[in-house]
Amino acid sequence: MTAYVIRRVLWGILMLVVVCLTTFIIFRVLPTVNPAVLRAGRNPTPQSLKAIEHSLRLDRSLPTQFYDYLREILLHFNFGYSYGSNESVTQLIKERLPATISLTVGAAVLWIVFGIGIGVVSALRRHSYTDRGAMGGALLLVSAPEFWLGLVLLFLFSSSIGKFKILPGAGTYVGLTSDPWKWFTSLLMPWFVLAAGSAAVFARLIRGNLLEVMDEDYIRTARAKGLPEKRVVRQGVRASINPVVTLMGLEFGVLLGGAVLVETVFNIPGVGRLAYESISSSDYEVIEGTVLLAAMFIIVANIVVDIVYAFIDPRVRYA
Amino acid sequence: MLSRKAIAGLIGAVLIAAVVAACGSSEEKGSSTTPKGEGLTESGGFKTPATESLTSGKKGGKLVVLQETEFEHLDPGISYYNLDYPVVFATQRPLYSYKPNEEAESTPDLAAGPPEISSDNKTVTVKLKEGIKFSPPVNREVTSEDVKYAFERGKNPNVANPYEEAYFAAVEGMPAAKGGPIKGIETPNKHTIVFHLTEPKGQIVADALVLPLSAPVPKEYAAKYDKNSPSNYASYEVATGPYMIKNNSEGKVLGVGYFPGKSLTLVRNPNWVASSDYRPAYLNEINYKIGGTVTVGEKEALQGTNIIDQERPPQTIVQEAAEHYKEQLQISPGAGDHYIAVNNKVGPFKNADLRRALWAALDREEMDKVRGGKLVTTVQTHFLYPGIGGFEQAGGLKGPAGIPYNENPQGNMALAEKYMKEGGYPTGKYSGETITVVGARGAPASEDAEIVNSTLQKLGFQTKLSLPESSIAYSKYCNVPKEEITVCPSVGWIADFDDPQTVLNVTFNGKFIPPVGNVNWSQANNPKTNEMMDKAESIQGKSARASAWAKIDEELVKEANAIPFDWDKQANVEGTQVLGVGQLWNSGEWDLSFTSLK
Amino acid sequence: MTISGIEPAPAGLADVEPLGPGEVVHALAPRQLFWRRFRKDKVAMVSGIIILVEIAIAFLAPVIVKVLGLPGPQVQNPNLTNAFGSPLGPSFSHPFGVDQLGRDVLTRTIYGARVSLTVGIVGTLVATLIGVTVGMLAGYYKGSVDTFFSRVIDVVLSIPPLLLALGIAASCSVKACAGGTIQPGVQTVIFLIALITWPYQARIVRGLVLSLREREFIEASHAFGASNSRIMFREILPNIAAPVIVYATLQIPLNILIEAALSFLGIGIRPPTISWGQMIASATPIFNTAWWYMVFPGVALLITVLAFNLLGDGLRDALNPRYAR
Repeated sequence: MTAYVIRRVLWGILMLVVVCLTTFIIFRVLPTVNPAVLRAGRNPTPQSLKAIEHSLRLDRSLPTQFYDYLREILLHFNFGYSYGSNESVTQLIKERLPATISLTVGAAVLWIVFGIGIGVVSALRRHSYTDRGAMGGALLLVSAPEFWLGLVLLFLFSSSIGKFKILPGAGTYVGLTSDPWKWFTSLLMPWFVLAAGSAAVFARLIRGNLLEVMDEDYIRTARAKGLPEKRVVRQGVRASINPVVTLMGLEFGVLLGGAVLVETVFNIPGVGRLAYESISSSDYEVIEGTVLLAAMFIIVANIVVDIVYAFIDPRVRYA
Repeated sequence: MLSRKAIAGLIGAVLIAAVVAACGSSEEKGSSTTPKGEGLTESGGFKTPATESLTSGKKGGKLVVLQETEFEHLDPGISYYNLDYPVVFATQRPLYSYKPNEEAESTPDLAAGPPEISSDNKTVTVKLKEGIKFSPPVNREVTSEDVKYAFERGKNPNVANPYEEAYFAAVEGMPAAKGGPIKGIETPNKHTIVFHLTEPKGQIVADALVLPLSAPVPKEYAAKYDKNSPSNYASYEVATGPYMIKNNSEGKVLGVGYFPGKSLTLVRNPNWVASSDYRPAYLNEINYKIGGTVTVGEKEALQGTNIIDQERPPQTIVQEAAEHYKEQLQISPGAGDHYIAVNNKVGPFKNADLRRALWAALDREEMDKVRGGKLVTTVQTHFLYPGIGGFEQAGGLKGPAGIPYNENPQGNMALAEKYMKEGGYPTGKYSGETITVVGARGAPASEDAEIVNSTLQKLGFQTKLSLPESSIAYSKYCNVPKEEITVCPSVGWIADFDDPQTVLNVTFNGKFIPPVGNVNWSQANNPKTNEMMDKAESIQGKSARASAWAKIDEELVKEANAIPFDWDKQANVEGTQVLGVGQLWNSGEWDLSFTSLK
Repeated sequence: MTISGIEPAPAGLADVEPLGPGEVVHALAPRQLFWRRFRKDKVAMVSGIIILVEIAIAFLAPVIVKVLGLPGPQVQNPNLTNAFGSPLGPSFSHPFGVDQLGRDVLTRTIYGARVSLTVGIVGTLVATLIGVTVGMLAGYYKGSVDTFFSRVIDVVLSIPPLLLALGIAASCSVKACAGGTIQPGVQTVIFLIALITWPYQARIVRGLVLSLREREFIEASHAFGASNSRIMFREILPNIAAPVIVYATLQIPLNILIEAALSFLGIGIRPPTISWGQMIASATPIFNTAWWYMVFPGVALLITVLAFNLLGDGLRDALNPRYAR
């Protein structure tokens, strides 16, 4: 087991370096725009351009630039500075993180609870109206673009521009510590929008798995032996959730991507909106930082999931 | 999966529900829609900065300010953006500044009295008020050295002030300065600063002292930040005005009072003395919330109490405000202009007749309509705009006489084709290489770009339209002559202060075409107008200047160096409990030092 | 992350179970059997028809617009906005209302189908091509080839897909990227979609190939001295074609959504090219009153994506009846 964990962690670190290289290529090598021009703002002068080029080390060779970049990240956890505000990217992300955590964790809870709940209920009441309604709704939610769903909800329910003014709308987010109730209500619509797609995917997946498992011989045997139905179902549910666990890491990446859209539509000052804003203003260092951080997060999440999975299913370790 | 059979019905139900909900709203709105052209006159009985009271406010309270766009630069040495100005002018005291309801006469601010211009027009002397102190942590009295340093750092490449070259180039030693001492700026004593000029341009130099560059900066405190490239003094900046950005004991504002993209907090400057200032500064605290959608922000302001929005509202909000929240809407006239920049240097628009053809073809009313219609725009007929000296002499609202292509604001294709023929295209349609059109993303710039694009296509042009973010569109394309962009469809300009030179000189004088940061977007380089402008720079006296620049304006219209379409007015919305005071001299945003709560 | 032996299904495609060795047998069932099952599935049939109709609409857009008596997609009409410049809502002559420039929203919604379908289908084709090639090589040769490709896939998958797309789009949206090979607009979006989705296809194909290559008929071919490429193209490819098509069908709606999201954020399709996501984006500033401009392109998007999802489900069920319950 230890060997497996070490192998996973080492591989994770190597991947981080490769991801660093990838983002470096995307943001430093690919663009045909001189970052100094972008940094200089709306009214640059030739002098300021030159100074900026020098301070951004753009006059050095690409490998040197990558080495510097990697060194800063690994040794100082420094992802550079925003072109616009001069604030360090780490600091910017740190400020925006609570909102994104509130959004994604809340949405993940909704996603898992509703995904599993609806999936199990649908499977147990196969072909009932509940099942059909739930699965139909799930498919509808998978098919609706998040940003559009958000706009429609705002148009219908937000207290500022809604037709039925029942929920706080865009831009009403406050920190959990400053006003828990307002925090909760302001996040209701964003949570729903962000969780909808993933929950629907999970519900469909779990329904399918559970139906399959309930057909397996050992469940039939258990039933035949007179095990109470409740325990039989519990067995089946556990067995049908296991394979889904590995997907959570990947699905979290999807969730993070969705956070960009949801935070933009609902004006939540999180990392996703930061990414969007920095894209709008071509603040490459900030985009680079957010992408990299998100990637790190996913890599770590995947390692954790893999290790957890290895505990659940010992076969994995030896594969 | 049999369950899928239920879906068709489900979709139907959802769609019907959505449509029903939506239709309900359309009826509600539809009945109150004002028919085209009715009930909208010049300022339409709405509040305007010209009539507002500056002294009837109540002291105290907190104001929430919504602003969807991020600030660009809050450093007084760099700031040159209308949305930065409300904060800059509430926190900084330049030598002179404007009262909100004044656009022609500036008021001494840090200065003790009007500037003294020598009889040879080559020396400008300004006396400073005594007893004005910097906010914590600097806390000491402001001296003329601090103003001198402000000018010096403007030339430091790490700061790189964007307009110092244009207005202060006559100061001796200024053009060559790199951040060190400037020979022509002297400080004979702690409260006197003298500008020595190499050319007789005292008037324009004195007028330009209203720009934030003249606000004092403490050298011993700021120099270490100015060493960074670019300077990060803004993250630690101190104030002289009634407010300061909330900071910590080291003076840091970044991460204390200013969270980029999120919020900015202005608190009272404890070292500010009310008797030394003409600003009443009623509010105790001002909280900026940055980001989000303009539509939502404006709507929140209309429905809220102690809240304002600083952005230009979209047309649907202007309509709603005008119809349902009339008391909460203010229209500020004379908020700059917008025109189409056409490349005079390379490509088809070297040919003046083709420029005239585009002018003739353009439906300027349509261009203005996507900006909110007649309530917030006026069809532009020449470059000087209402409220600026020379506007009337150049023809007022109707524009210079005898310009056929200027006569039909809805566009005239037959006339346009006539000009195309005169320009050497006998079919009346252009035939030649594809031209590039670079607009900007987001309403209303992108809509304007699409109108211009289709107008060009009607004239036979093959176009390649691209709409990057506005900051990119300018910094990378329209401001860079080397890119050889043929058309930039909606460049905007606002006077830096009340003088016609500030509207026409840097934007049309051929001597101002730098390789980057160029705002002579059309690259107009007409020997005749260049010479007229060079002469007019040194003319003394308001009325003489006005008529000289009005003649230049007429000449630019005749040459069609650019195609104007919109004199902007600014619409501002406020919450029910706000007694907002907008300003006239710039683009019309709410003035935070005069706005109060009811 | 790959755990050898257990292939997690890709996110988004999560409800498509990786096929076990036993299940491939169903994929090998005669075509008639597949058709018979598929034809019985009315929902999938209807979805398929909807998609065919949409494709027809996209191809015939100019004709349809003319028949309906609507103005062209770029026809601006300032008389259709009110004095404030707010667009007018649905009416008899403009059933979906107009936009800020007085352009007909129905016409533009019809034209929008072109971009969505092109990007969705071409993007998927490119991704499938890359995915099948890589998956085939990795699964067939195993060993170091497999390790290399699997690691590459791991890296691509570790960056959140939308953020990766946003990043590259931001780099390429101003001017062409990589020396001019990637032009902003439809090309960039297709490139991005292929880039972020091929690993999913590759993983699935790899899994299928791994299990196939151990089977008797492949071994028999080896024994008869068939070349590697012959085995790959003649023996393996036909056997994985069906599941690959199903996965591709289910990938199309996701790709349509990616295009819409990129265009909504302003770095996908740009005017004057029309896309539904971009229409929704330009509706946002005025959506407090001009709901029609936001709603109709969104509904078009929803119907298209839903139809592809249902069709994909139907194909999968027909192919693999054990899953259909």
